[in-house]
Amino acid sequence: MPSDGYHSTPYWNPRNETMPREDLARLQLVKLRRLCEFAYEKTPFHRRRFDAVKFKPDQLKALDDIRRLPVMTREEWVESQTEHPLFGDLIATDPADAIRYHLTSGSTGRQPLRALDGLKDWEWISEMWAYGIWAFGVRPADIVYFAFGYGSFIGFWGAHYACEKIGALVVPGGAQSTRARIEQIMTLGVTTVFSTPTYALRLWQEAADMGIDLARDSRVDKVIVSGEPAGSIPAMKRQLENGWGAKCGDTAGMTEIGTIFTFECAAQPGGTHIIEDHMYEEVVDPKTDGPSNYGDLGERIVTSFGRGFIPLIRYRSGDIVMRVPHSNCTCGRTFDIYDGGIRGRWDDMKLVRGTNVYLRAVESIIREYDAIDEFQVYLWREGNIRDEISVRLELKPDRQSEWEGLRERLGRDLSHSHEGLRFNIELMPPGALPRFELKAKRLVDVRFESSAPGGR
Amino acid sequence: MAAKKQTDLIGVATGPSEQQALAIYRELKELAGRPDLAPCAARGVRKALACMWNVVNDLDLEFEQLYDLGV
Repeated sequence: MPSDGYHSTPYWNPRNETMPREDLARLQLVKLRRLCEFAYEKTPFHRRRFDAVKFKPDQLKALDDIRRLPVMTREEWVESQTEHPLFGDLIATDPADAIRYHLTSGSTGRQPLRALDGLKDWEWISEMWAYGIWAFGVRPADIVYFAFGYGSFIGFWGAHYACEKIGALVVPGGAQSTRARIEQIMTLGVTTVFSTPTYALRLWQEAADMGIDLARDSRVDKVIVSGEPAGSIPAMKRQLENGWGAKCGDTAGMTEIGTIFTFECAAQPGGTHIIEDHMYEEVVDPKTDGPSNYGDLGERIVTSFGRGFIPLIRYRSGDIVMRVPHSNCTCGRTFDIYDGGIRGRWDDMKLVRGTNVYLRAVESIIREYDAIDEFQVYLWREGNIRDEISVRLELKPDRQSEWEGLRERLGRDLSHSHEGLRFNIELMPPGALPRFELKAKRLVDVRFESSAPGGR
Repeated sequence: MAAKKQTDLIGVATGPSEQQALAIYRELKELAGRPDLAPCAARGVRKALACMWNVVNDLDLEFEQLYDLGV
Protein backbone atom coordinates (compact mmCIF):
# COMPACT_ATOMS: atom_id res chain seq x y z
CA MET A 1 0.00 0.00 0.00
CA PRO A 2 1.43 3.43 -0.87
CA SER A 3 2.48 5.79 1.89
CA ASP A 4 -0.22 8.09 3.21
CA GLY A 5 2.28 10.67 4.40
CA TYR A 6 0.43 13.41 2.58
CA HIS A 7 -2.41 13.22 5.15
CA SER A 8 -0.34 15.23 7.60
CA THR A 9 0.12 18.37 5.50
CA PRO A 10 -2.42 21.10 6.17
CA TYR A 11 -2.30 22.17 2.52
CA TRP A 12 -4.12 20.51 -0.37
CA ASN A 13 -1.63 22.06 -2.79
CA PRO A 14 1.40 22.91 -0.62
CA ARG A 15 3.43 24.53 -3.39
CA ASN A 16 0.82 27.06 -4.48
CA GLU A 17 -0.78 27.69 -1.10
CA THR A 18 2.57 28.81 0.33
CA MET A 19 4.01 30.35 -2.83
CA PRO A 20 5.72 33.77 -2.55
CA ARG A 21 3.27 36.41 -3.68
CA GLU A 22 5.45 37.61 -6.54
CA ASP A 23 5.40 34.07 -7.98
CA LEU A 24 1.67 33.88 -7.41
CA ALA A 25 1.21 37.07 -9.42
CA ARG A 26 3.34 35.67 -12.25
CA LEU A 27 1.26 32.51 -12.28
CA GLN A 28 -1.97 34.52 -12.32
CA LEU A 29 -0.72 36.56 -15.25
CA VAL A 30 0.09 33.44 -17.31
CA LYS A 31 -3.35 31.98 -16.61
CA LEU A 32 -5.15 35.28 -17.13
CA ARG A 33 -3.54 35.84 -20.51
CA ARG A 34 -4.34 32.30 -21.69
CA LEU A 35 -7.91 32.54 -20.46
CA CYS A 36 -8.42 35.88 -22.22
CA GLU A 37 -6.93 34.55 -25.46
CA PHE A 38 -9.26 31.56 -25.28
CA ALA A 39 -12.34 33.64 -24.45
CA TYR A 40 -11.56 36.16 -27.18
CA GLU A 41 -11.19 33.43 -29.77
CA LYS A 42 -14.16 31.29 -28.72
CA THR A 43 -16.92 33.57 -27.47
CA PRO A 44 -18.57 36.45 -29.34
CA PHE A 45 -19.57 37.89 -25.97
CA HIS A 46 -16.02 38.38 -24.75
CA ARG A 47 -14.67 39.39 -28.16
CA ARG A 48 -17.22 42.23 -28.24
CA ARG A 49 -16.16 43.37 -24.78
CA PHE A 50 -12.48 43.43 -25.71
CA ASP A 51 -13.10 45.08 -29.08
CA ALA A 52 -15.31 47.76 -27.54
CA VAL A 53 -12.32 49.12 -25.63
CA LYS A 54 -9.78 48.37 -28.38
CA PHE A 55 -7.92 45.91 -26.19
CA LYS A 56 -6.45 42.58 -27.26
CA PRO A 57 -5.44 39.73 -24.93
CA ASP A 58 -1.86 39.89 -26.21
CA GLN A 59 -1.64 43.42 -24.76
CA LEU A 60 -1.98 41.92 -21.30
CA LYS A 61 1.53 42.45 -19.93
CA ALA A 62 0.70 42.94 -16.25
CA LEU A 63 -2.24 41.97 -14.03
CA ASP A 64 -3.38 45.58 -13.76
CA ASP A 65 -3.80 45.71 -17.54
CA ILE A 66 -7.01 43.72 -17.15
CA ARG A 67 -8.55 46.87 -15.68
CA ARG A 68 -8.77 48.22 -19.22
CA LEU A 69 -11.67 45.82 -19.63
CA PRO A 70 -14.92 47.09 -18.05
CA VAL A 71 -16.48 44.89 -15.39
CA MET A 72 -18.91 42.28 -16.66
CA THR A 73 -22.37 42.42 -15.12
CA ARG A 74 -25.04 39.90 -14.41
CA GLU A 75 -27.39 41.98 -16.57
CA GLU A 76 -25.09 41.51 -19.58
CA TRP A 77 -25.16 37.78 -19.02
CA VAL A 78 -28.97 37.74 -18.74
CA GLU A 79 -29.26 39.86 -21.89
CA SER A 80 -27.00 37.44 -23.73
CA GLN A 81 -29.21 34.54 -22.62
CA THR A 82 -32.32 36.39 -23.78
CA GLU A 83 -30.88 37.26 -27.17
CA HIS A 84 -29.28 33.84 -27.70
CA PRO A 85 -31.42 31.31 -25.83
CA LEU A 86 -30.81 29.25 -23.81
CA PHE A 87 -27.24 29.87 -22.77
CA GLY A 88 -26.20 33.12 -24.44
CA ASP A 89 -23.17 33.75 -26.60
CA LEU A 90 -20.62 33.59 -23.82
CA ILE A 91 -20.32 29.82 -23.91
CA ALA A 92 -17.03 28.77 -25.48
CA THR A 93 -17.96 25.44 -27.02
CA ASP A 94 -20.85 23.35 -28.27
CA PRO A 95 -23.50 22.84 -25.54
CA ALA A 96 -23.46 19.19 -26.58
CA ASP A 97 -20.04 18.93 -24.88
CA ALA A 98 -21.56 19.78 -21.51
CA ILE A 99 -22.14 17.17 -18.84
CA ARG A 100 -24.03 19.29 -16.30
CA TYR A 101 -26.58 22.06 -16.07
CA HIS A 102 -27.14 24.28 -13.04
CA LEU A 103 -28.78 27.60 -12.44
CA THR A 104 -28.44 30.39 -9.93
CA SER A 105 -30.70 30.41 -6.92
CA GLY A 106 -32.06 33.81 -7.93
CA SER A 107 -31.55 35.12 -4.41
CA THR A 108 -31.81 38.67 -5.65
CA GLY A 109 -35.22 37.95 -7.17
CA ARG A 110 -34.14 38.20 -10.76
CA GLN A 111 -34.00 35.87 -13.75
CA PRO A 112 -31.75 32.92 -12.94
CA LEU A 113 -28.53 32.41 -14.87
CA ARG A 114 -28.06 29.12 -16.69
CA ALA A 115 -24.67 27.46 -16.48
CA LEU A 116 -23.15 24.56 -18.40
CA ASP A 117 -19.96 22.71 -17.59
CA GLY A 118 -17.75 20.11 -19.22
CA LEU A 119 -15.90 17.13 -17.76
CA LYS A 120 -12.79 18.98 -16.69
CA ASP A 121 -14.82 21.91 -15.34
CA TRP A 122 -16.44 19.58 -12.85
CA GLU A 123 -13.08 18.19 -11.84
CA TRP A 124 -11.99 21.77 -11.22
CA ILE A 125 -15.18 22.68 -9.34
CA SER A 126 -14.60 19.85 -6.88
CA GLU A 127 -10.90 20.71 -6.75
CA MET A 128 -11.65 24.18 -5.39
CA TRP A 129 -13.77 22.65 -2.65
CA ALA A 130 -10.93 20.22 -1.93
CA TYR A 131 -8.60 23.17 -1.23
CA GLY A 132 -11.07 24.52 1.31
CA ILE A 133 -12.20 21.41 3.12
CA TRP A 134 -8.74 19.87 3.33
CA ALA A 135 -7.61 23.16 4.90
CA PHE A 136 -10.35 22.84 7.51
CA GLY A 137 -9.26 19.31 8.36
CA VAL A 138 -11.37 16.88 6.33
CA ARG A 139 -9.37 13.70 5.79
CA PRO A 140 -10.00 10.21 4.34
CA ALA A 141 -11.05 8.86 7.75
CA ASP A 142 -13.94 11.34 8.00
CA ILE A 143 -17.60 10.42 7.61
CA VAL A 144 -19.19 13.38 5.91
CA TYR A 145 -22.87 14.26 5.87
CA PHE A 146 -24.49 16.57 3.32
CA ALA A 147 -27.68 18.20 4.61
CA PHE A 148 -28.50 19.26 1.09
CA GLY A 149 -31.34 18.60 -1.37
CA TYR A 150 -29.21 17.85 -4.48
CA GLY A 151 -31.23 19.91 -6.96
CA SER A 152 -30.52 22.36 -9.78
CA PHE A 153 -29.01 24.87 -7.35
CA ILE A 154 -25.29 24.12 -7.33
CA GLY A 155 -25.01 24.28 -3.52
CA PHE A 156 -22.81 21.51 -2.14
CA TRP A 157 -22.53 19.37 -5.28
CA GLY A 158 -18.86 20.29 -5.68
CA ALA A 159 -18.15 19.64 -2.02
CA HIS A 160 -19.69 16.18 -2.33
CA TYR A 161 -17.27 15.27 -5.13
CA ALA A 162 -14.38 16.89 -3.28
CA CYS A 163 -14.99 14.68 -0.26
CA GLU A 164 -15.03 11.61 -2.51
CA LYS A 165 -11.78 12.84 -4.08
CA ILE A 166 -10.21 13.22 -0.63
CA GLY A 167 -11.32 9.72 0.20
CA ALA A 168 -13.83 10.45 2.96
CA LEU A 169 -17.01 8.41 3.33
CA VAL A 170 -19.82 10.54 1.90
CA VAL A 171 -23.41 10.35 3.12
CA PRO A 172 -25.76 12.27 0.81
CA GLY A 173 -28.55 13.61 3.01
CA GLY A 174 -30.88 14.26 0.08
CA ALA A 175 -34.57 14.96 0.40
CA GLN A 176 -35.63 13.84 3.84
CA SER A 177 -36.88 15.35 7.05
CA THR A 178 -34.63 17.16 9.49
CA ARG A 179 -35.37 14.48 12.06
CA ALA A 180 -34.36 11.69 9.66
CA ARG A 181 -31.13 13.52 8.91
CA ILE A 182 -30.27 13.78 12.59
CA GLU A 183 -30.93 10.08 13.03
CA GLN A 184 -28.49 9.33 10.18
CA ILE A 185 -25.85 11.64 11.63
CA MET A 186 -26.09 9.82 14.95
CA THR A 187 -26.39 6.26 13.61
CA LEU A 188 -23.51 6.51 11.14
CA GLY A 189 -21.13 8.31 13.48
CA VAL A 190 -20.80 11.29 11.17
CA THR A 191 -17.76 13.49 11.88
CA THR A 192 -18.33 16.36 9.43
CA VAL A 193 -21.57 18.09 8.42
CA PHE A 194 -22.07 20.36 5.41
CA SER A 195 -25.00 22.76 5.56
CA THR A 196 -26.04 26.38 5.35
CA PRO A 197 -25.47 28.17 8.67
CA THR A 198 -29.18 28.60 9.14
CA TYR A 199 -29.92 24.95 8.59
CA ALA A 200 -27.06 23.82 10.82
CA LEU A 201 -28.74 25.80 13.58
CA ARG A 202 -32.06 24.18 12.77
CA LEU A 203 -30.53 20.70 12.88
CA TRP A 204 -29.14 21.47 16.32
CA GLN A 205 -32.50 22.77 17.57
CA GLU A 206 -34.39 19.79 16.16
CA ALA A 207 -31.87 17.45 17.78
CA ALA A 208 -32.48 19.15 21.11
CA ASP A 209 -36.22 18.60 20.64
CA MET A 210 -35.43 14.91 20.09
CA GLY A 211 -33.50 14.83 23.36
CA ILE A 212 -30.12 14.67 21.63
CA ASP A 213 -27.29 16.91 22.72
CA LEU A 214 -25.15 17.00 19.57
CA ALA A 215 -22.15 18.44 21.43
CA ARG A 216 -22.21 15.56 23.89
CA ASP A 217 -23.75 12.68 21.96
CA SER A 218 -22.50 13.02 18.36
CA ARG A 219 -19.05 12.47 16.82
CA VAL A 220 -19.31 15.62 14.72
CA ASP A 221 -16.19 17.77 15.12
CA LYS A 222 -16.48 19.93 11.98
CA VAL A 223 -19.48 21.84 10.61
CA ILE A 224 -18.68 23.39 7.24
CA VAL A 225 -21.10 26.04 6.09
CA SER A 226 -21.77 27.92 2.88
CA GLY A 227 -24.52 29.76 1.04
CA GLU A 228 -25.11 32.65 3.43
CA PRO A 229 -22.90 35.40 4.87
CA ALA A 230 -23.87 34.28 8.37
CA GLY A 231 -21.09 31.67 8.43
CA SER A 232 -18.57 34.31 9.42
CA ILE A 233 -20.77 36.25 11.83
CA PRO A 234 -18.99 35.67 15.17
CA ALA A 235 -22.15 35.22 17.24
CA MET A 236 -23.62 32.76 14.73
CA LYS A 237 -20.37 30.83 14.59
CA ARG A 238 -20.24 30.75 18.38
CA GLN A 239 -23.79 29.40 18.59
CA LEU A 240 -23.00 26.69 16.06
CA GLU A 241 -19.71 25.72 17.68
CA ASN A 242 -21.27 25.54 21.14
CA GLY A 243 -24.38 23.75 19.92
CA TRP A 244 -22.55 21.12 17.90
CA GLY A 245 -19.42 20.94 20.06
CA ALA A 246 -17.51 21.28 16.78
CA LYS A 247 -15.44 23.77 14.84
CA CYS A 248 -17.46 25.74 12.33
CA GLY A 249 -15.73 26.64 9.07
CA ASP A 250 -17.03 29.15 6.56
CA THR A 251 -16.78 28.95 2.77
CA ALA A 252 -18.28 31.08 0.01
CA GLY A 253 -18.98 30.33 -3.61
CA MET A 254 -21.20 31.35 -6.47
CA THR A 255 -23.00 29.50 -9.25
CA GLU A 256 -21.47 31.89 -11.77
CA ILE A 257 -18.09 30.20 -11.25
CA GLY A 258 -19.56 26.89 -10.13
CA THR A 259 -17.64 26.57 -6.89
CA ILE A 260 -16.10 28.26 -3.89
CA PHE A 261 -13.49 31.00 -4.18
CA THR A 262 -12.70 31.41 -0.51
CA PHE A 263 -12.43 29.19 2.57
CA GLU A 264 -11.69 29.31 6.26
CA CYS A 265 -8.62 27.30 7.30
CA ALA A 266 -8.20 25.39 10.54
CA ALA A 267 -6.40 28.36 12.13
CA GLN A 268 -9.70 30.30 11.89
CA PRO A 269 -8.25 33.79 11.39
CA GLY A 270 -11.64 35.53 11.46
CA GLY A 271 -11.90 35.42 7.70
CA THR A 272 -11.51 33.27 4.62
CA HIS A 273 -8.52 32.71 2.33
CA ILE A 274 -8.96 33.46 -1.38
CA ILE A 275 -7.97 30.62 -3.72
CA GLU A 276 -5.60 32.84 -5.60
CA ASP A 277 -3.86 30.33 -7.84
CA HIS A 278 -7.20 29.60 -9.53
CA MET A 279 -8.88 33.02 -9.39
CA TYR A 280 -7.94 36.60 -9.85
CA GLU A 281 -9.96 38.60 -7.34
CA GLU A 282 -10.11 42.39 -7.34
CA VAL A 283 -11.80 44.54 -4.72
CA VAL A 284 -13.13 47.83 -6.01
CA ASP A 285 -15.10 50.84 -4.88
CA PRO A 286 -18.55 49.98 -6.29
CA LYS A 287 -19.24 53.61 -7.20
CA THR A 288 -16.06 54.28 -9.18
CA ASP A 289 -14.78 50.75 -9.90
CA GLY A 290 -11.40 52.05 -8.74
CA PRO A 291 -9.22 49.65 -6.73
CA SER A 292 -9.69 49.42 -2.98
CA ASN A 293 -6.85 49.12 -0.50
CA TYR A 294 -6.31 46.46 2.13
CA GLY A 295 -8.78 47.11 4.94
CA ASP A 296 -11.31 49.00 2.81
CA LEU A 297 -14.81 47.69 2.27
CA GLY A 298 -15.39 47.11 -1.42
CA GLU A 299 -17.01 44.92 -4.02
CA ARG A 300 -15.51 41.66 -5.28
CA ILE A 301 -14.74 41.40 -8.97
CA VAL A 302 -13.88 37.85 -9.96
CA THR A 303 -12.02 36.24 -12.83
CA SER A 304 -12.14 32.47 -12.68
CA PHE A 305 -9.39 30.56 -14.45
CA GLY A 306 -10.85 27.09 -14.17
CA ARG A 307 -14.28 27.14 -15.71
CA GLY A 308 -13.72 27.49 -19.44
CA PHE A 309 -17.15 26.50 -20.73
CA ILE A 310 -18.42 29.87 -19.59
CA PRO A 311 -15.35 32.09 -19.19
CA LEU A 312 -15.87 34.71 -16.53
CA ILE A 313 -13.59 37.73 -16.77
CA ARG A 314 -13.94 40.66 -14.36
CA TYR A 315 -17.40 39.67 -13.20
CA ARG A 316 -19.13 42.02 -10.77
CA SER A 317 -20.20 39.83 -7.86
CA GLY A 318 -22.21 42.23 -5.71
CA ASP A 319 -20.43 40.81 -2.64
CA ILE A 320 -19.19 43.19 0.05
CA VAL A 321 -15.71 42.23 1.24
CA MET A 322 -12.72 43.59 3.12
CA ARG A 323 -9.44 42.20 1.84
CA VAL A 324 -6.52 41.92 4.26
CA PRO A 325 -3.04 40.43 3.84
CA HIS A 326 -2.38 36.71 4.23
CA SER A 327 -0.11 37.53 7.17
CA ASN A 328 -3.24 38.08 9.30
CA CYS A 329 -3.37 34.29 9.56
CA THR A 330 -0.86 31.96 11.18
CA CYS A 331 -1.51 28.99 8.88
CA GLY A 332 1.36 29.74 6.49
CA ARG A 333 -0.78 30.23 3.39
CA THR A 334 0.17 33.17 1.23
CA PHE A 335 -3.39 33.53 -0.06
CA ASP A 336 -4.93 36.82 1.07
CA ILE A 337 -7.98 36.88 3.30
CA TYR A 338 -11.49 38.29 3.19
CA ASP A 339 -11.76 39.52 6.74
CA GLY A 340 -15.15 38.48 8.12
CA GLY A 341 -15.83 36.41 4.98
CA ILE A 342 -18.54 37.77 2.70
CA ARG A 343 -20.02 40.68 4.60
CA GLY A 344 -23.21 40.90 2.59
CA ARG A 345 -24.33 42.15 -0.77
CA TRP A 346 -24.46 45.69 -2.03
CA ASP A 347 -27.99 45.06 -3.24
CA ASP A 348 -28.97 44.03 0.31
CA MET A 349 -28.43 47.60 1.43
CA LYS A 350 -31.70 49.36 2.25
CA LEU A 351 -32.19 53.04 2.85
CA VAL A 352 -34.56 53.65 5.75
CA ARG A 353 -35.26 57.27 6.68
CA GLY A 354 -31.81 58.26 5.42
CA THR A 355 -29.90 55.47 7.16
CA ASN A 356 -28.17 52.60 5.35
CA VAL A 357 -29.28 49.25 6.71
CA TYR A 358 -27.48 46.03 5.78
CA LEU A 359 -29.15 42.74 6.59
CA ARG A 360 -25.91 41.17 7.74
CA ALA A 361 -25.22 44.02 10.17
CA VAL A 362 -28.69 43.55 11.65
CA GLU A 363 -28.20 39.78 11.79
CA SER A 364 -24.84 40.20 13.54
CA ILE A 365 -26.61 41.96 16.40
CA ILE A 366 -29.60 39.62 16.52
CA ARG A 367 -27.30 36.57 16.72
CA GLU A 368 -25.86 37.92 19.95
CA TYR A 369 -29.19 36.98 21.57
CA ASP A 370 -29.28 33.22 21.84
CA ALA A 371 -32.90 33.24 23.03
CA ILE A 372 -33.94 34.15 19.48
CA ASP A 373 -35.02 31.19 17.41
CA GLU A 374 -35.79 32.85 14.05
CA PHE A 375 -36.17 36.36 12.71
CA GLN A 376 -37.25 38.45 9.75
CA VAL A 377 -36.49 42.06 8.86
CA TYR A 378 -39.66 43.66 7.51
CA LEU A 379 -39.69 47.02 5.75
CA TRP A 380 -42.99 48.79 5.30
CA ARG A 381 -44.44 52.23 4.84
CA GLU A 382 -46.61 53.92 7.43
CA GLY A 383 -49.53 55.72 5.76
CA ASN A 384 -47.62 55.64 2.47
CA ILE A 385 -45.37 58.34 3.89
CA ARG A 386 -42.84 57.14 6.43
CA ASP A 387 -40.54 54.14 6.05
CA GLU A 388 -40.58 51.76 8.98
CA ILE A 389 -38.35 48.84 9.85
CA SER A 390 -39.52 45.97 12.01
CA VAL A 391 -37.60 43.01 13.31
CA ARG A 392 -39.97 40.10 13.76
CA LEU A 393 -38.76 37.50 16.20
CA GLU A 394 -39.58 34.06 17.42
CA LEU A 395 -38.09 33.10 20.75
CA LYS A 396 -37.04 29.59 21.69
CA PRO A 397 -39.90 27.79 23.46
CA ASP A 398 -38.14 27.73 26.82
CA ARG A 399 -37.03 31.39 26.62
CA GLN A 400 -40.40 33.13 26.13
CA SER A 401 -40.21 34.78 29.54
CA GLU A 402 -37.23 36.87 28.38
CA TRP A 403 -39.30 38.79 25.85
CA GLU A 404 -39.81 42.15 27.61
CA GLY A 405 -36.18 42.67 28.54
CA LEU A 406 -34.92 41.35 25.23
CA ARG A 407 -37.19 43.66 23.25
CA GLU A 408 -35.83 46.71 25.01
CA ARG A 409 -32.16 45.70 24.79
CA LEU A 410 -32.30 44.56 21.17
CA GLY A 411 -34.14 47.71 20.09
CA ARG A 412 -31.48 49.80 21.79
CA ASP A 413 -28.57 47.83 20.29
CA LEU A 414 -29.98 48.04 16.77
CA SER A 415 -30.70 51.74 17.11
CA HIS A 416 -27.22 52.52 18.46
CA SER A 417 -25.57 50.78 15.54
CA HIS A 418 -27.80 52.54 12.97
CA GLU A 419 -27.42 56.23 13.74
CA GLY A 420 -30.38 56.24 16.12
CA LEU A 421 -32.82 54.68 13.66
CA ARG A 422 -35.81 53.24 15.55
CA PHE A 423 -36.48 49.55 14.99
CA ASN A 424 -39.87 48.06 15.85
CA ILE A 425 -39.33 44.75 17.63
CA GLU A 426 -42.23 42.33 17.27
CA LEU A 427 -42.79 38.92 18.85
CA MET A 428 -44.24 36.30 16.52
CA PRO A 429 -45.90 33.05 17.57
CA PRO A 430 -43.72 29.91 17.35
CA GLY A 431 -43.50 28.62 13.77
CA ALA A 432 -44.91 31.78 12.18
CA LEU A 433 -41.72 32.77 10.37
CA PRO A 434 -40.38 30.82 7.39
CA ARG A 435 -37.49 28.37 7.85
CA PHE A 436 -34.82 27.79 5.24
CA GLU A 437 -32.67 24.89 4.13
CA LEU A 438 -30.80 26.70 1.38
CA LYS A 439 -30.29 30.42 1.07
CA ALA A 440 -32.28 32.16 3.75
CA LYS A 441 -34.46 35.11 2.74
CA ARG A 442 -34.96 37.10 5.91
CA LEU A 443 -35.39 40.53 4.39
CA VAL A 444 -38.89 41.43 3.21
CA ASP A 445 -39.43 44.87 1.71
CA VAL A 446 -43.04 45.77 0.90
CA ARG A 447 -42.60 49.55 0.84
CA PHE A 448 -43.19 49.82 -2.86
CA GLU A 449 -45.94 47.24 -3.28
CA SER A 450 -49.27 48.84 -4.17
CA SER A 451 -51.05 45.78 -2.85
CA ALA A 452 -49.67 46.43 0.60
CA PRO A 453 -51.19 49.75 1.71
CA GLY A 454 -49.50 50.81 4.86
CA GLY A 455 -47.18 47.93 4.32
CA ARG A 456 -49.01 45.67 6.77
CA MET B 1 24.50 19.43 -26.41
CA ALA B 2 22.80 19.53 -22.99
CA ALA B 3 19.09 18.71 -22.91
CA LYS B 4 16.87 21.74 -22.46
CA LYS B 5 15.84 22.11 -18.82
CA GLN B 6 12.15 21.48 -18.27
CA THR B 7 10.30 24.23 -16.43
CA ASP B 8 6.80 24.97 -15.19
CA LEU B 9 4.51 27.84 -16.15
CA ILE B 10 6.55 30.39 -14.22
CA GLY B 11 9.95 29.13 -15.26
CA VAL B 12 10.85 26.98 -12.25
CA ALA B 13 12.71 23.75 -13.04
CA THR B 14 10.51 20.66 -12.71
CA GLY B 15 11.42 17.45 -10.89
CA PRO B 16 10.98 13.82 -11.93
CA SER B 17 7.46 13.36 -10.51
CA GLU B 18 6.26 16.56 -12.20
CA GLN B 19 7.79 15.51 -15.51
CA GLN B 20 6.11 12.12 -15.20
CA ALA B 21 2.73 13.73 -14.46
CA LEU B 22 3.07 15.99 -17.49
CA ALA B 23 4.07 13.07 -19.71
CA ILE B 24 1.03 11.06 -18.61
CA TYR B 25 -1.21 14.06 -19.26
CA ARG B 26 0.18 14.45 -22.77
CA GLU B 27 -0.23 10.73 -23.45
CA LEU B 28 -3.84 10.88 -22.31
CA LYS B 29 -4.46 13.83 -24.63
CA GLU B 30 -3.04 11.91 -27.52
CA LEU B 31 -5.07 8.84 -26.64
CA ALA B 32 -8.27 10.86 -26.26
CA GLY B 33 -7.79 12.14 -29.80
CA ARG B 34 -7.72 8.67 -31.33
CA PRO B 35 -10.83 7.78 -33.34
CA ASP B 36 -10.57 4.03 -32.84
CA LEU B 37 -11.41 3.75 -29.16
CA ALA B 38 -14.39 1.77 -27.91
CA PRO B 39 -16.94 3.79 -25.95
CA CYS B 40 -15.69 2.36 -22.66
CA ALA B 41 -12.15 3.46 -23.49
CA ALA B 42 -13.05 6.80 -25.09
CA ARG B 43 -15.05 7.98 -22.11
CA GLY B 44 -12.75 6.48 -19.50
CA VAL B 45 -9.72 8.13 -21.08
CA ARG B 46 -11.53 11.46 -21.12
CA LYS B 47 -12.45 11.10 -17.48
CA ALA B 48 -8.82 10.29 -16.64
CA LEU B 49 -7.67 13.23 -18.75
CA ALA B 50 -9.97 15.59 -16.83
CA CYS B 51 -8.37 14.38 -13.58
CA MET B 52 -4.86 14.79 -14.95
CA TRP B 53 -5.75 18.23 -16.27
CA ASN B 54 -6.38 19.17 -12.66
CA VAL B 55 -3.07 17.72 -11.56
CA VAL B 56 -0.98 19.60 -14.13
CA ASN B 57 -3.00 22.75 -13.53
CA ASP B 58 -2.53 22.56 -9.73
CA LEU B 59 1.19 21.87 -10.15
CA ASP B 60 1.53 24.79 -12.59
CA LEU B 61 2.78 22.51 -15.36
CA GLU B 62 0.16 23.30 -17.99
CA PHE B 63 -2.92 25.48 -18.28
CA GLU B 64 -5.13 25.08 -21.32
CA GLN B 65 -8.69 24.16 -22.31
CA LEU B 66 -9.66 20.70 -23.57
CA TYR B 67 -13.09 21.19 -25.11
CA ASP B 68 -11.76 20.22 -28.56
CA LEU B 69 -11.26 16.75 -27.07
CA GLY B 70 -14.70 16.76 -25.44
CA VAL B 71 -13.20 17.15 -21.97
